[in-house]
Amino acid sequence: MTNQRNGKSPTGNDQRPPDTDDGTEYDFYFGPAHSGSGNFGVKLRLDGERVLSARADPGYLHRGFEKLMEYRIPIQNAVLSDRLCVLEPLNWNLVHAEAVDELTGIEVPERARYIRVLMAELSRLQSHMIWYGVMSLALGFDTGFRLAFGHRDYILDIFELITGGRVYPAGYICDGGVRRDLPEGYGKRIRELLDKIKEFMDQMKSFDNLFFAKRTKGVGVLNLEDAIRLGATGPVLRASGMKTDVRKDDPYEIYSGLDFDVPTGKEGDANARCTIRDLEMEQSIKIIRQVLDRMPEGKTRNPSKLKRPSRIKIPEGEVYVRNEVARGEACIYMRSVGETGPYRVKVRGPDFLHMIPVLEHLLKGCELADVPAIYWSLNICPADMDR
Amino acid sequence: MAEISQQSKEDKLAQLLRAVFEIEATVQRDRRVWTTVPKNELVSLCRFARGLGFDHLSAISVTDWPKDGTFELTYHLWSYSLKILLTVKTKTKRADPQMDSAMPIFHENAQIHERELHELFGVKFRGNPDVAPLFLEDWHGPPPFRKDFNWRDYVRQRCYDKSEEREKPYWQ
Repeated sequence: MTNQRNGKSPTGNDQRPPDTDDGTEYDFYFGPAHSGSGNFGVKLRLDGERVLSARADPGYLHRGFEKLMEYRIPIQNAVLSDRLCVLEPLNWNLVHAEAVDELTGIEVPERARYIRVLMAELSRLQSHMIWYGVMSLALGFDTGFRLAFGHRDYILDIFELITGGRVYPAGYICDGGVRRDLPEGYGKRIRELLDKIKEFMDQMKSFDNLFFAKRTKGVGVLNLEDAIRLGATGPVLRASGMKTDVRKDDPYEIYSGLDFDVPTGKEGDANARCTIRDLEMEQSIKIIRQVLDRMPEGKTRNPSKLKRPSRIKIPEGEVYVRNEVARGEACIYMRSVGETGPYRVKVRGPDFLHMIPVLEHLLKGCELADVPAIYWSLNICPADMDR
Repeated sequence: MAEISQQSKEDKLAQLLRAVFEIEATVQRDRRVWTTVPKNELVSLCRFARGLGFDHLSAISVTDWPKDGTFELTYHLWSYSLKILLTVKTKTKRADPQMDSAMPIFHENAQIHERELHELFGVKFRGNPDVAPLFLEDWHGPPPFRKDFNWRDYVRQRCYDKSEEREKPYWQ
């Protein structure tokens, strides 16, 4: 498709110099107070309906967690780590807990490892369902949004049953294991839940040809070379054709013993990213079934009798922990000098790269109507970008 | 380019780094190698690592050591082919924190990390063209993630009124 007014391709790098501006160029703010943007904005420079350039405007959710963690002990930081990403708190709980575990060298009980993976995968499922919901909303498909958020609530019910919190688990996955054991009858309820999600996914597939493909195919194409250069990870990188997953390449917890595939795409467009999401949900269901089948008995936290938490010192050292969260690679660099709290914590969220360099790159040259599709196909979470 | 086989690949990488750059390199555990270089060799080490397959700059971090008067920078590089995380550490003076930008090797990825660290720690990256503030709006204080920045006092001075009855507890 060519731009009607000047006949130029919307995808090429044919940004005209400013002196040829005939008064049709203007700035357009997509967010941060826009209902479909999340707490994050992009400043677009438009010529008619074509985006000439995009500049990300983060900072709306900057809370300085890295600094706050320096003043707190791990059991408090576990609660803070929930807030690193509102949409997948349990995954971030796990990253933080692993960093502390690696520093202290405490052996995490087998049962706790299984529970951690169970919770992380359930969290990935509900995060992908949010992704489906907001993507539908961005494309003007309200039914998909309601279906996805309605079904997500079933997962939140399970979270409430196990952790006590629907969205924020209040540091359920903490250093040394998990806070408490699974309640009675959890297996039956989770299996029922998985059947419901399976039903939902079949429904989702039936919508694909209705409109999804039309709005997303060939939109926001990210080739593999650019994806690596811009620091894309997770589903975004896999949709561009790279077969990589931290759970496989750099296994943590019990992932090395689980049987699952890493789905990859080829095209690198918004449609490929959405397809990857659906395939990943299937893999997560597969993992959860395996974990439920193999769940061992035993303790859920080490040491089971704690000293007063404020007296426990983290041994001196430094670690870099990598995890695969729903959005991509999540890392924590933690440095300890033998005090009760960490000396320095660096949180590396996947969206820091996805929402600034990758988004700016993809938006350049697209049509205004495609902006929401590109924006949400990256599955943004401003919270882990701003921290 | 030297070949690195999959058996004890971490040891071989550490050995190679020691031989080429005459630096310390230790294997922390599976898939984790740590090394320290002088700051003027950092960019050439990054370029060397990129040639070995370390395509992905996972993160750059700064640790503030006010007692030593240094900033410690850590570059975390991941290789999709070798499946090793190489952490490169280097130090720069705290009084005049200058670093060469890693942009010639890691492009936009390095750019955005350096932009963040410039804002939060005040480290200046030579060769980085855009270090506009990312998170902080209308910020006139010192770089806030430095250890000597007292954020509790800063918030009290800026946001709480001593004469206000309800806000008195914050001043006690």
